[in-house]
Amino acid sequence: MIFGYVDPGSGSLIIQAVIAAMVAIPFFLRRQLARVVALVRRDDHEIRS
Amino acid sequence: MTTKSAADRLIPTQPTSGSVREPASFRDPIGFVYRRDGVLYRQISARHAADWQAFVGSGLFGQLVERGWLIEHDEAPRELAHDEDAWRVLRPRPLGFISYPYEWAFSQLKDAALLTLDVQSAALEAGMSLRDASAYNVQFDFSRPVMIDALSFEKRREGEPWVAYRQFCQHFLAPLALMALTDVRTSVLLRDFIDGVPLDLAARLLPASSRLRFGLAAHLHLHARAQGRRRGSAQPSAAGEDNGGGQRGRPRLAADRLEALIASLRAAVAGLHWRPAGTTWADYGDTTSYSSPAAASKREIVGRMLRATDGDWLWDLGANTGYFSRLAADMGRQVVALDADHGAAEQHYRAVRDDPALPRILPLVVDLTNPSPALGWAHAERQSLLGRANAQTLLALALVHHLAIGNNVPLERISELFAALGRELIVEFVPKSDRRVAEMLAWRQDVFGAYSLDGLRAAFDARWQLIADEQIEDSQRTLLHYRRR
Repeated sequence: MIFGYVDPGSGSLIIQAVIAAMVAIPFFLRRQLARVVALVRRDDHEIRS
Repeated sequence: MTTKSAADRLIPTQPTSGSVREPASFRDPIGFVYRRDGVLYRQISARHAADWQAFVGSGLFGQLVERGWLIEHDEAPRELAHDEDAWRVLRPRPLGFISYPYEWAFSQLKDAALLTLDVQSAALEAGMSLRDASAYNVQFDFSRPVMIDALSFEKRREGEPWVAYRQFCQHFLAPLALMALTDVRTSVLLRDFIDGVPLDLAARLLPASSRLRFGLAAHLHLHARAQGRRRGSAQPSAAGEDNGGGQRGRPRLAADRLEALIASLRAAVAGLHWRPAGTTWADYGDTTSYSSPAAASKREIVGRMLRATDGDWLWDLGANTGYFSRLAADMGRQVVALDADHGAAEQHYRAVRDDPALPRILPLVVDLTNPSPALGWAHAERQSLLGRANAQTLLALALVHHLAIGNNVPLERISELFAALGRELIVEFVPKSDRRVAEMLAWRQDVFGAYSLDGLRAAFDARWQLIADEQIEDSQRTLLHYRRR
């Protein structure tokens, strides 16, 4: 892997992977929740109309 | 005989014809910006061909331009290239005035940061990624932030982390956190640290409570510690590992995790707020020093004097929250509105940003007593404020007393500075008997013998021809319209 002209910093690359791992789980949970909420809202709307 | 300074010898002056590279465009080997016969072009090297084709072919280029996130670029004939290395030549839509992050109000830097992250999200969706995240890649097209570097996009290789993560944190997250949580005036750090505020410095300057915010605890404090530990360790550097070509020890990042990282950065930036309170002008307003007949009279006279001037560009010096910038913009002028106060510029920016009429006004934080210097390599990467003077007309309303009395600048010097910035000038004179000036002199010795309307006329006479002058009704203040000799 050859990076571009900007020095990514080795410490920055490692911590980036660590933080991404930390935030990934809540990120996906929130996204699933948003999908469910959207689905429920749509059903709700269909029932009322 | 003229003697050349060292800087003059190092930087070629712009010839009127031929092709000249922009002095700020030299770091990136895959392309650069140059001017040919005064027109701005961007040359792409063949090394970037595959990435450029993916950028255009994926539809990302068209999508970003359509959304107003990336400046428009036309293809230009290859004959117009600067040198043989050219594979393609582009002609970006030129912006009339270039500003720098250390001149932006808090919300301008924040909006530029959010734009960068939104562009990166769009890029990831298209299978691409930003190669850099420099704040200098964003410019303000008046009230709208826009990316100017069309060559910042590369195809994302599976598993690759975001190469510009560190740069984003230094250029955006650290200065925004400092401005919001430590002091808004720390934006001047961007002037010295041209590649962004070092994270260890930001971590030291931020209050301990900043660690309670997850985004700052992770992307700034933890990030700063990781950098320090890496630097101190005997591990081979990233560059060393690259040369070996091996994947050993190289962090990998799946696309969906990278998406989560960008969302986390976005939440960290979006959670930073700064409200102008307690700065000098925050509740000053533009007309609080005037009775209502005086305010109406001032507006009427300034409008009349403006109609007697010409030119597209106008600089409003000491613009405050922009009442008169707006008057000029409504008359068709393109306005750069300078004020030394963060609170005033912040309010002004929010007003023009949220105005559906999109007034052509660019508010900036600039202190005329110490304007932005030329910076970077050979003083040529970032131009000084005076080097960017593009206005025909200047407004200097309720300003001269701040320079002359507040900052002890002789009136002749003020006249010289104005003459370097424009050729039409509408200037307001506020006499010592005025309440504002009396307040400035209340606790100090009056050493300003030359400060009078006649003194100003005498001082300005060498460089300026008086076209008209009028006293503002129901006040002791005078407006003068000058034309440069």
